Amino acid sequence: MTTISTIGNDRVAGILLRRSTLVSALVVVAALFAVESLGSRILVSLLTQAAIVSLLALGVGVLTRISGLVSFGHAAPFGLGAYGAAWALSGGSALPPEAGLIVVVPLVAAVFFLVGLVVSRLEGIGFSMLTLALGQAVFVAVSKFRGLTGGADGVVVNLPRRLFGLSSDTVQSPYGMLVLSVTAIGLLYVELRLFELSHLGRLAVAIRENEERTRFLGYGVRALKAAVFALSAAVAALGGVLYALYQGFVSPEILHWSFSGSALIMAILGGSSALWGPIAGAFSFFFLREGLNELTSHWLAVLGAMLIVVTVAWPTGLSGGVETLLRRLAGAAKRRDTQ
Amino acid sequence: MTALFRCVGVGKRYGGVVALMDVSLDLEAGKVHGLIGPNGAGKSTFIDVASGRTPGLGQVFLDGRDITRTPPSLRRRMGVSRSFQRTSIFPALTIRDQLELAAHGVGGENISELVGMLALEPVLDTRAEEVSYGQQRLVDLALALVGNPRVLLLDEPAAGLSVAESQALAAHLEEIAERWNVATLLVEHDMDVVFRVCHVLTVLASGRWLVSGPPAELRNDPAVIRAYFGSAA
Repeated sequence: MTTISTIGNDRVAGILLRRSTLVSALVVVAALFAVESLGSRILVSLLTQAAIVSLLALGVGVLTRISGLVSFGHAAPFGLGAYGAAWALSGGSALPPEAGLIVVVPLVAAVFFLVGLVVSRLEGIGFSMLTLALGQAVFVAVSKFRGLTGGADGVVVNLPRRLFGLSSDTVQSPYGMLVLSVTAIGLLYVELRLFELSHLGRLAVAIRENEERTRFLGYGVRALKAAVFALSAAVAALGGVLYALYQGFVSPEILHWSFSGSALIMAILGGSSALWGPIAGAFSFFFLREGLNELTSHWLAVLGAMLIVVTVAWPTGLSGGVETLLRRLAGAAKRRDTQ
Repeated sequence: MTALFRCVGVGKRYGGVVALMDVSLDLEAGKVHGLIGPNGAGKSTFIDVASGRTPGLGQVFLDGRDITRTPPSLRRRMGVSRSFQRTSIFPALTIRDQLELAAHGVGGENISELVGMLALEPVLDTRAEEVSYGQQRLVDLALALVGNPRVLLLDEPAAGLSVAESQALAAHLEEIAERWNVATLLVEHDMDVVFRVCHVLTVLASGRWLVSGPPAELRNDPAVIRAYFGSAA
């Protein structure tokens, strides 16, 4: 029998050295160079916004993919990440700006771990409604506490001249932030894949598949469910930090339920059968919105209709569709070889 | 011999309906105790309460220690394991992955032995949803056996299996009880399996204890025949 204990290490090496991972990384780098050479500010700006918000969609997607839970309130960790960054850079944390920024994401994750211990007792629509209520509670709280958050007027982010060795001009330039956010997405992608392949990742999937049986295998499940909720919140919070650095301004609208809804649409559009699904969904959403907006002011209605079509025809989203297509192509190639 | 696993006055009410009332039984190491009765007799309810799946009345002891309020995850780590009436596995995980998870949860080191005994080697790297129903039932049993449990509560393990598969399962259950010295409670409708592997039987009817004793004696007990066996006995 194959040695069971050694399989985990093989998988870790496998994901990093897999041809598809390396090719994808090269394509992304080449695309970044191509975008720069095109010199289109509109394109770069659109890509940058999509890249930042794709972290929010990825947070929503990670939760769905690993825990099978649908969040209607992930704008909350995204917004708290953004407000946290503004707070850290304003000197409010009594830490140097870089150190302050570094603690924002773990802090948001810690808060959402505690929240997760409560909300993850529910499943299905109950969980979704609770996250919606929590998200709106955070939105209202931030809107009301003017002294701390600037209320509905928002707060300006005091970006220092240099941050982690980068000039503030680079951080706030569309292309500079695009490179920064794509790098963050790449690193997160690898880390999330490693988590999925780890013992804890498989245990989280086991809980999603059959929570009761997991308990009867000797595991307490509540802490891990909360940890996955916190992980997904941390991914969204990182997007919020990048958003604050790029925009230089944070207001409560990024905490509104409609922003959570948009992220959910992106995640559904991209699908959760692959980790890259929500990222692809976010980029598709931004380009669709841009394209449809030029055609009609009722772009949201058209997008809604498209979402219905995708959900019915391709329930696994873009990523599921692409994976099915690739499987069919691989199957056809294999059949050709054997003939 | 002192009972390893003791259930005293186990019962369960759903509102005003009494599903199970005041049932007591002892499980001894290396012995298979059959729990039989017609549909609705309360057999699965008994296992659910005894395993901690659902709260109920009465007390449950392991090695003299009261574990009535111990959560299922901790009971499993203490050596009380169970299978389910409906196959309860992880469809999207490979069989290897779920056995590894089980081993990690209870600190088990007997995966290779289980895989060999239950002939799961050919499907080890196959997702559970892609293997046959019979193999899924074996995976369910394997998950319950990882880590050499001291007490095994089996809820209709032969349900849906062919005659040949049921006989193979019976052989496994005999081997498990004897070789691993496991105290087994077997809820089962397949009487061939029950009479082959059980050392003692308890019969339930309408949620109440009817009679207990060696299978050979109960086979001819008029009350049991009336309540359960009918003309098949």
